[in-house]
Amino acid sequence: MAVHFEKLRDPGWAWAAYEPDVERPWNLARAGHLYRRAAFGAGWQQLQQALSDGPQRTIDKLLRPQSEAAQFNRTYDEYETATGSMDQLRAWWLRRMIQTPHPLLEKMTLFWHSHFATNAAEVKNARLMQQHVRLLRSQALGSFRTLLEGISQDPAVLLWLGAEANRKARPNENLARAIIENFTLGPDRCTEDDIRDTARAFTGWFILRSNLRYIPREHDENEKQILGRKGNFTRDDVLRIILEQPATSRRIVRKLYRWLISETDQPDETLISPLAESFADDYNVRNLVEKMLRSNLFFSPAAYRRRIKCPAEFAIGIVKAMEGSISTTQLANDLADLGQNLYNPPTIKGWAGGKHWINSTAMVARQNLASALLRGSDQYGNKLNPWTVAQRHRYDTPESARQFLLDLFLQSDLDSDVHNVLLKTHRRQNEDLGVLIRSFAYAIITLPEFQLA
Amino acid sequence: MSYTRRDFLKATLSATTMLSFTSLAPDLLVRAAGTDIARQDDRDTVLVIVQMSGGNDGLNTVVPYADDEYARNRPTLRLHPEDIHKINSYLGFHPRMEAFSRLYKEGHLCIVQGIGYPNSDRSHDIAMRHWHTAKPENPNCQTGWLGRAADSVWHTNQKDMPAIFVGPIVQPFGMRAEHVIIPSIQSPDDLTIDPAPGDSQQKQAVKSFREDKDNSLLNHLRDCTVNAHTNSQRIEVAAKATNKAEYPTFRLAETLRTVAQLIRADVGIRIFFTELGGGGIGGFDNHANQLGNHCALLGQLSESLAAFIHDLKKDKLLDRILVMTISEFGRTVKENGRRGTGHGVAAPIFIAGGKLKGGLVGSHPSLTDLDNGAMKFHTDFRRVYSTVLDKWLGFESQAILDRQFQSLDILNV
Repeated sequence: MAVHFEKLRDPGWAWAAYEPDVERPWNLARAGHLYRRAAFGAGWQQLQQALSDGPQRTIDKLLRPQSEAAQFNRTYDEYETATGSMDQLRAWWLRRMIQTPHPLLEKMTLFWHSHFATNAAEVKNARLMQQHVRLLRSQALGSFRTLLEGISQDPAVLLWLGAEANRKARPNENLARAIIENFTLGPDRCTEDDIRDTARAFTGWFILRSNLRYIPREHDENEKQILGRKGNFTRDDVLRIILEQPATSRRIVRKLYRWLISETDQPDETLISPLAESFADDYNVRNLVEKMLRSNLFFSPAAYRRRIKCPAEFAIGIVKAMEGSISTTQLANDLADLGQNLYNPPTIKGWAGGKHWINSTAMVARQNLASALLRGSDQYGNKLNPWTVAQRHRYDTPESARQFLLDLFLQSDLDSDVHNVLLKTHRRQNEDLGVLIRSFAYAIITLPEFQLA
Repeated sequence: MSYTRRDFLKATLSATTMLSFTSLAPDLLVRAAGTDIARQDDRDTVLVIVQMSGGNDGLNTVVPYADDEYARNRPTLRLHPEDIHKINSYLGFHPRMEAFSRLYKEGHLCIVQGIGYPNSDRSHDIAMRHWHTAKPENPNCQTGWLGRAADSVWHTNQKDMPAIFVGPIVQPFGMRAEHVIIPSIQSPDDLTIDPAPGDSQQKQAVKSFREDKDNSLLNHLRDCTVNAHTNSQRIEVAAKATNKAEYPTFRLAETLRTVAQLIRADVGIRIFFTELGGGGIGGFDNHANQLGNHCALLGQLSESLAAFIHDLKKDKLLDRILVMTISEFGRTVKENGRRGTGHGVAAPIFIAGGKLKGGLVGSHPSLTDLDNGAMKFHTDFRRVYSTVLDKWLGFESQAILDRQFQSLDILNV
């Protein structure tokens, strides 16, 4: 990919829509990149379709739910309601990520799950956790304002923070602190007095038998001073004041930058400002995501392979490419072992992500998961078969199948030495072709390059 | 510390295995070896925690057999002086803890008495949470003390994970970290790369990895992939020495055998967490018919731990090892009419290892000056934590525990 680092510092160019040209053609590598970020990877058919559709139309499809998406999500909501356990909720969410016609929605739901990190083991109520993630999904590409309002009165969040009783005599600072320091402005953006008075504004709200209740006599009616403003504020006033702070939109834009564009650089304020300013106008998440996905910056080397796949992206990427369906109950446990226990982010700060996903032990676990997925037996059964997939797309010789898998998983973009080593291995006499191709696929998906989003 | 990491590597790994390491990914391995030498500064010490879930009856573990109050309060549960492994004219070990008695005489065990914390909560969940967060004053603390310890020494290009949980139950809260991902394993196999079709190609590919000057993420991934292979080999090599050692057949013993294997493999793990009693409310919670059950658990504890200590001592590794037991609370002095005991406060902590002053630390709590039927504590458990963090692991306890607790003089370092 041609390098345009000097242009990347110019926000005008960086955020302008990418148009393919001779130096920056629309190709398999860019289509793969888009599907890794805006979805959980792609199958061969999707990559080919993207190549023929071009970037704009492909992004249109990713952003706007196709007609069946709403029905799909309603059906899955019903499946979830019918289950009573956290284990099943985890499995259904993973199945949704695999099957959904609107993967960007799930990708953004996962983003908000880490942002509004709420831990099921502490909430101890599967129904409330289901409601919580449903709330995240309902506004995942919607309004951050509506989402924040929902979160601030979500029983799961209040229980998790130990804020189920906000009494006038004893305002609970946990919720106030979480909203200001974790969900909006960020750390060190306010004083302890701001936290205390925010907590006072939240008094009166209780969780009683898993339901939100407002008890007017427990609300502190006295004047509060919050972020330089004075008044007899209520919860809604506080949220309005927080959303008026430029730091709120800047922080969300930065966090989304890390999720969609790059984990390696700290973008200049000049790059963040234009997006933060327009985001603050209406807090429309879809518009912000759209701006990022369509941009020159997104399709530049500054973004390409500049994120480490979270465990869910790693595993589902394999499943999508292999066009199969697997036991997501098992997968949920295996992802937990890799550090991503869905519905159970470790702390209110969510998953740290980036290099934190990776250490020697995690690499052993990723290799063993890759092996289990492709083995064709044991816990994942024979659901994913690279040789069958290659043949399905008419790559039915060993040579063409290997080239196909390199294109499918890595768009054949890998270090030339490694590439040569992989292609050099010859078929042993009488070796089963299915086994040979499985081996080859395993060698690809355990490469460091495949761990990058 | 006389026994260095490199001596150890020489002792454990034969020349041929060293050769096979170097044949794997020469470039990156050289770099990895370089960081190994740089690691001399961390003092190579290892902490092993054994959680006794349920609230151990300290009074029937380290027994004040000569105290009339003991016999008077425990009409059916009292252990008889002639069965006790005597420490002195007042105290002795439970009859099933002969192995601990030997460790004690060898100087490999010390007993820190009267441990607890202010305003102790006598419910299992909350009390255990306090031992795990090490912040009893902050009920909403979302991280564990060992998770914070791991976070405190972690830097983003680090390859080896400094802490691990070994056992079949859900990872204890004490290992909850904000940044690092602390693995939970049941056997050493969970840390070795499964043989897979394609692994030979994969190993070939790993050999051709180069440093990527442009992409630090890719570089980190390559380093960790190479390290995954070398660690995996080391763990397999270490199995030979470890499988020869004699351990009893208890689950805790098998867990500690795994720990010994990982210590021999020298894969950078400084903190191991293990558990006895089965998690949940736990086997030490004996409100009725305590005698037999408690006796069996103490037998498992002392024999498993003694086997572990002797295994490592044989390979001259014991000087690097410190074991600490924890339990959420002690139990009531008086038995309860159902041949059991209620939730209490103070209890002893055992510390085992090769670099101990040994003996008894602190006085035995009074059996008459009680807090709601339970012996009072005189030493905050966080003083033990700060001792192992500061003096043993070389971490900064103040950053982990939020304030400086006074260390105990138990180590010979």
